[in-house]
Amino acid sequence: MSNTLPALLFVGSGVALTLELLIGGIAVGVLLGTSLAILRYMYKGICGNCIGRIVSVIRGTPLILQLSIVYFITPVLLDCKLSILATGIIAFGINSSAYVSEILRAGVESLPKGQFEAAKTLEITSCYMWKDIILPQVFVNIFPAFINEIVSLLKETALISVIGGMDIMRKSQIIAAEHYEYFTPLCLAGAYYYGLVILIEYIGQKIEKRKFYAKNS
Amino acid sequence: MLKIHKVSKALSNVRILDEVSLDVKKASIFGLAGPSGSGKSTLLRCIQKLETPDSGSIDYSCRVCFMFQDFQLFPHMTVLQNLVYAPTLKDKANAKEHIDKAKMMLKNLGIESKINDYPRTLSGGQKQRVALARSLMINPDVLLCDEPTSGLDVSTIMDVVSLLKSVNNIGVTIVIASHDLDFLTKISDRIVLLKNGKIAIDIIPSQTPNSVETLKGFY
Ligand SMILES: Nc1ncnc2c1ncn2[C@@H]1O[C@H](COP(=O)(O)OP(=O)(O)OP(=O)(O)O)[C@@H](O)[C@H]1O
Ligand SMILES: [Mg+2]
Repeated sequence: MSNTLPALLFVGSGVALTLELLIGGIAVGVLLGTSLAILRYMYKGICGNCIGRIVSVIRGTPLILQLSIVYFITPVLLDCKLSILATGIIAFGINSSAYVSEILRAGVESLPKGQFEAAKTLEITSCYMWKDIILPQVFVNIFPAFINEIVSLLKETALISVIGGMDIMRKSQIIAAEHYEYFTPLCLAGAYYYGLVILIEYIGQKIEKRKFYAKNS
Repeated sequence: MLKIHKVSKALSNVRILDEVSLDVKKASIFGLAGPSGSGKSTLLRCIQKLETPDSGSIDYSCRVCFMFQDFQLFPHMTVLQNLVYAPTLKDKANAKEHIDKAKMMLKNLGIESKINDYPRTLSGGQKQRVALARSLMINPDVLLCDEPTSGLDVSTIMDVVSLLKSVNNIGVTIVIASHDLDFLTKISDRIVLLKNGKIAIDIIPSQTPNSVETLKGFY
């Protein structure tokens, strides 16, 4: 038991990388996912189908495979070595963008068509329509699903340990291997992850309570 | 001003409009009557280009704005924001003037106390007046109103009548689809009644004795 405190601190120092991956991944995921969802809504033809297929492939292949592709193949293609953090943010961001775009698409499809028509009637250009009329409403409606996506991405960042990222997971494995004792470090890692999940859900609920208008007009 | 030539439109394989032709004069108030489901909204949506006619043509070269039967206010914006958002986007320099104009219009419609409220807190009749004011904010040359008086009481109908008359006096052409025959007769220069996708009757209320009774005969 004398090892518990150092283990707690050591595993805890992995929270930094885990959070960096999460925040970076979500940022890329939201930007890319929103663009994909908008493009897919606006161009229902070939372009939309292509995006749909890409999203489907990303959702239909293992994240660990995508991470490996980014880690092993981009250095060959781009002729430069990416850091573990950059690799993680790119892979998790692209993966997350597929899920975010699906969530957003459902949100956009569920808005009354009249909202688009009203914007058109008032001669609001497409860019402002999305920015000020459609997306603000959609973001409120999909907020709970979005929090779920953040939580699942948080858990998936643990995969960074397979390419050597020193996150919560990896650090707990290191401690475990040093002391030939697995129970405490793995439980600690679990506690850190779960603590972060609780925190995210708490913040999510706080924001949701501040919603200041109903979903329908 | 607005020429509609042999417009036909089918929705889900049902013919809603059947070669409808109309000619709306500049600065007139044009009434569209007809039983529920007769295609009044569909015709207005075609004029606003929210629907494409299957055949025929609609010609105009001016700014048209449509007021929706179900309002379609932006739920995440206050009444004032709903009104000034679009005009301010176009003309940022005059933001202050747009606000003043919006306030004036809300006052004329008797809902100035609701200026900072969200649409969900408004009654149906209040939403309707906000929707009407919002369409007028972009200074359309032709205003298309879909049921501007449903759910309004006698005195607020009078407010709507005087607002529409006052914008009509400054040259705005108005097309109104409505079930309210008294209102239509009072306000319109000409009334067309749609039935089964065709024009059943075309009257000029000021020259037709008993216009309301005549129109009622077709329901
Ligand atoms: N998207 C749609 N798909 C199929 N049918 C439709 C659609 N929209 C409207 N219709 C049908 O078109 C017909 C005309 O509708 P419209 O809304 O133009 O009538 P209206 O004269 O405005 O009726 P109301 O007075 O009740 O507003 C109705 O029978 C309706 O069922
Ligand atoms: Mg209608």
